[in-house]
Amino acid sequence: MDEKIKKWLLLVSLFTIALLMTACGSGSGNGQSSAAKTIKIGFFAPETGPEAADGTSAYNAAKLAVEQINAGGGINGAKLELVNYDDQLDTKQAVSIAQKLTTKDGVVAVVSGSYSGPTRAAAPIFQQAKMPMISAYAVHPAIPRTGDYIFQLGLSGIVEGAAAAEVAKNELHAKNVAILAIDNDFGHTLVQGFTQRAGQIGLKVQEPNWFHFGDTEFTPVLTKIKNSGADVLFMPAYAAEGSQIIRRIHDMGLKIQPLGTEGLDSTTQFLEVAGKDANGLVIVTDFNRDSKEQVVKDFIKAYKERYGHEPDMVAASTYDAFYVLAEAVRKSGTTPDKIREGIASIKDFQAVSKINGFDGIRQANKPVAVQQVKDGTFRYFGEITDPTIITPPVN
Amino acid sequence: MSVRKREFDLYVEGRYRSCTTGLALSYSLGAESTVFLQQMVNGITIGSLYSLVALGLTMVYGIMRVLDIANAGAYTLGAYLGVLAYARTHSIIIALLAGAGGAAITGYLFQRAIYTPIKKMADPIVPLVASIGLFIVMEDLFRLIAGPYTITFPVHLPLNRLTLGPVVITGTQAVILLISAFLFLLLWILLNKTKIGLAWQATAQDTETAMAMGINTRSVVAFAFILGYIFAALAGILVAIHYNAVFPTMGDIPSYKMLAIVVLGGLGNPLGAVVASIVVGLAEAFVAGYIGSFLPTDAIAFLALIILLLVRPQGLLASGGEVR
Repeated sequence: MDEKIKKWLLLVSLFTIALLMTACGSGSGNGQSSAAKTIKIGFFAPETGPEAADGTSAYNAAKLAVEQINAGGGINGAKLELVNYDDQLDTKQAVSIAQKLTTKDGVVAVVSGSYSGPTRAAAPIFQQAKMPMISAYAVHPAIPRTGDYIFQLGLSGIVEGAAAAEVAKNELHAKNVAILAIDNDFGHTLVQGFTQRAGQIGLKVQEPNWFHFGDTEFTPVLTKIKNSGADVLFMPAYAAEGSQIIRRIHDMGLKIQPLGTEGLDSTTQFLEVAGKDANGLVIVTDFNRDSKEQVVKDFIKAYKERYGHEPDMVAASTYDAFYVLAEAVRKSGTTPDKIREGIASIKDFQAVSKINGFDGIRQANKPVAVQQVKDGTFRYFGEITDPTIITPPVN
Repeated sequence: MSVRKREFDLYVEGRYRSCTTGLALSYSLGAESTVFLQQMVNGITIGSLYSLVALGLTMVYGIMRVLDIANAGAYTLGAYLGVLAYARTHSIIIALLAGAGGAAITGYLFQRAIYTPIKKMADPIVPLVASIGLFIVMEDLFRLIAGPYTITFPVHLPLNRLTLGPVVITGTQAVILLISAFLFLLLWILLNKTKIGLAWQATAQDTETAMAMGINTRSVVAFAFILGYIFAALAGILVAIHYNAVFPTMGDIPSYKMLAIVVLGGLGNPLGAVVASIVVGLAEAFVAGYIGSFLPTDAIAFLALIILLLVRPQGLLASGGEVR
């Protein structure tokens, strides 16, 4: 009997070790390679854990961008090399990853393909090490305020929320807006932007209802909203929770126009789950799929060919972060300080989204895409370019 | 004259006032009680889903005194096997059978190869730690094999919205309530009206005495594990259809929330688990509907547990023999 147990324990532990090794294997860089001809870029995203889908999308986009840049001859003859880490959506992991990237990996700049929480936790370490970091899509306004090496490429949550308020008032003709938002950095920032703008333009907004990451049952809170007389529901949520909210709205026969944010901007994670119930939904996001720009068409085509599904906002923003970085290196040089200067001086740069430039506290100024779901796909609904809305607040 | 007119005005005004307040009152009472009933339906549905998941865990505990976190892995496994079978055959029956079959084999293997041997040699905490390890391994395997993206489970439920007066029961809610009720009934008959159920109860109460009475306790333990895992898998499939989503970490929340529910219901007591699930479901619905999110939804189950332990340490359904 004892022998049998030992055999089993051995088997199980070997198996676990094997798994751990495959999980960690992707984290290590290739050690020392010819330093003159490669430029190492650090990257982290939640590639496993509860948001593995977004993390994988971001990582896929990062790989695609690096491959394409290298296939096009690299940057001034040097090739990019990706040093990838999985933060598991865990702030503690993000901190130790930042320490590794700044001390032993020999990278010159970093892209965060992660959420606000891990990105905020990692940012001070990059700042202290004077290593430029571009946050690809995290929305929290504190991220670029960490210091002069930290850039925010994704829309600031404040801007995105304000744009949503504008859409609610002028496009959806809202009279009375209910809010159902996720209770974290992402949700609070968007709600703050929304309610501030709503106050300025005289839009009636109810007290927000909050839900929690991982919640699945929204019938109770929607019953409450149903009885509140709201005609538009502003719902800053991620795809998993957002798709369930949309499904329940439909199930319950609620007559309310849902208005989402970039958190729902995913075909695989949101549209497929919400199905036809998503038709009519309007979202504010970074990614305009119907853009006439060649770079957008090429990106969508290349991503689809390579990975077999439509790219989402997370992928588009991460892809852009690498192109912004490449442009900065091309213009200014390969040391962290030069790259920082290069990013700060970017103006009117057409990536998948159009980047007007970075402001004094390193927040990107760019238009907000407004998309509507029609026949199960995100389609152009509008674009907000009004500088009074899209200029992120600097105080 | 003018005085009388004034009185009349007052009279009319007063009547008008009382009339409108009366109307407003009855209207608000009506709307309030409608919302209350609606939240009740919502809560019972949520609770039914929880109870399906909790039953697997409590059955395994009842027979073996192992808190088997890996049961939540069987929940995810069931959903994946179900969606795989459904994609191939478009038959929900085959999907349920595939999920149940896969989970049954897994349950049997875990029990034979891991829990029974470990339990013989070690502290009760060791099987718990082993089960957490198993759960993590299962979850990572799902992600490695099926990928991180959500897979949809597009079964169209045959029922439309039911409107019972002002209360709305959605199609999915009705299906969940019906299937749960059916499975509870099945389990109750099995445990209380059959020989297997008798052997099960005897083994749960005292394995050695049961063995001495000629009960094949090895088979009973194996049967409990298999059934517990089948319940988890069926719950996983039902939940996956309800949310149209199968993903590697779908067992995360059940893995710890069910612990609170199972303890709340009296460890190892299936009826208690069902009652506790409904209590927690109702609490979540009313908190979300009336109070808002003052604390994470998942914390409500644990809050209920703390309150119960303070007020009724003997458990929710305390009647001597059942609660151990």
